[in-house]
Amino acid sequence: MNVHVHDMIPSWTMAVVDAARMKTMAAILRDPYPVHWDRLANQAFGLGGRVINQGPLNLSYVANMLMDWSGPASIRRLTVSFGPPVLDGDHVIAGGRVTAVVDNDGESLAECDVWLERNGEHVVDGTAVVVLDRSR
Amino acid sequence: MMGEDELRSLVGHQFPGGRYRIAHWENWLLTDCTGRAPMPEDLVHPVVLFHAPILGAGTSIAELFRLGEAAGAGSVGLESYDWEYFQPLREDVDYDVGGGIVDAERTTSPTGAIVDRVAFAIELHDGDTLVARVTNRWKFRRGS
Repeated sequence: MNVHVHDMIPSWTMAVVDAARMKTMAAILRDPYPVHWDRLANQAFGLGGRVINQGPLNLSYVANMLMDWSGPASIRRLTVSFGPPVLDGDHVIAGGRVTAVVDNDGESLAECDVWLERNGEHVVDGTAVVVLDRSR
Repeated sequence: MMGEDELRSLVGHQFPGGRYRIAHWENWLLTDCTGRAPMPEDLVHPVVLFHAPILGAGTSIAELFRLGEAAGAGSVGLESYDWEYFQPLREDVDYDVGGGIVDAERTTSPTGAIVDRVAFAIELHDGDTLVARVTNRWKFRRGS
């Protein structure tokens, strides 16, 4: 895998954020927060009866992008902050750019800026460290 | 609303600790929620580092809301995550899990809106090997 600083990571798209997946996620997480599954509870927040995607799911799209690029066991660190909420029906795209390539105990690591965007607005921003698989 | 001293006293709170095993069905459904095909072999999707540390440490999202005295729907939001993977996480491994609250601070905006930020850190071990560490920071909106 030949990687250089400033390389763009191939983007990963969630075409439509799905409320049904949020319900399954809420059950797995034991998440009692109704903003993720109860449209009526969200009417008070001016969300037009839409539900809010879990933060971990927003981050998972970034993780999926990184794994498609560098392998399923390649992620060493994810450091992110969260912006405006992602809602069901949104179209979001995970993106990233290599900022450094370093050697660490025989492993080649890529340090990357990563993000999740909706209509050009970043809703997740952060950095990632992935190990580069020389066989890819 | 809890006082500032009470907020600061959360720092050092330790979760009971425990063990967590990620089952195949759980990993499959979790990965499906992310829109990705199932993970190869017995690898676990990286997003497992949200709920496995919390549940494995013997706490829950509901308990964390109680500790932070969340006022109801819309009053809690995510601030940031810092997730470190020292080893790949795998299905059907018993991970020892422990951690606690590591930071708590109150901020007041120029308009008087009060937000409390609470961070917790949890580690997963496989025997003596540190496998993963998370530091998650949540914000509790208190109004003004």
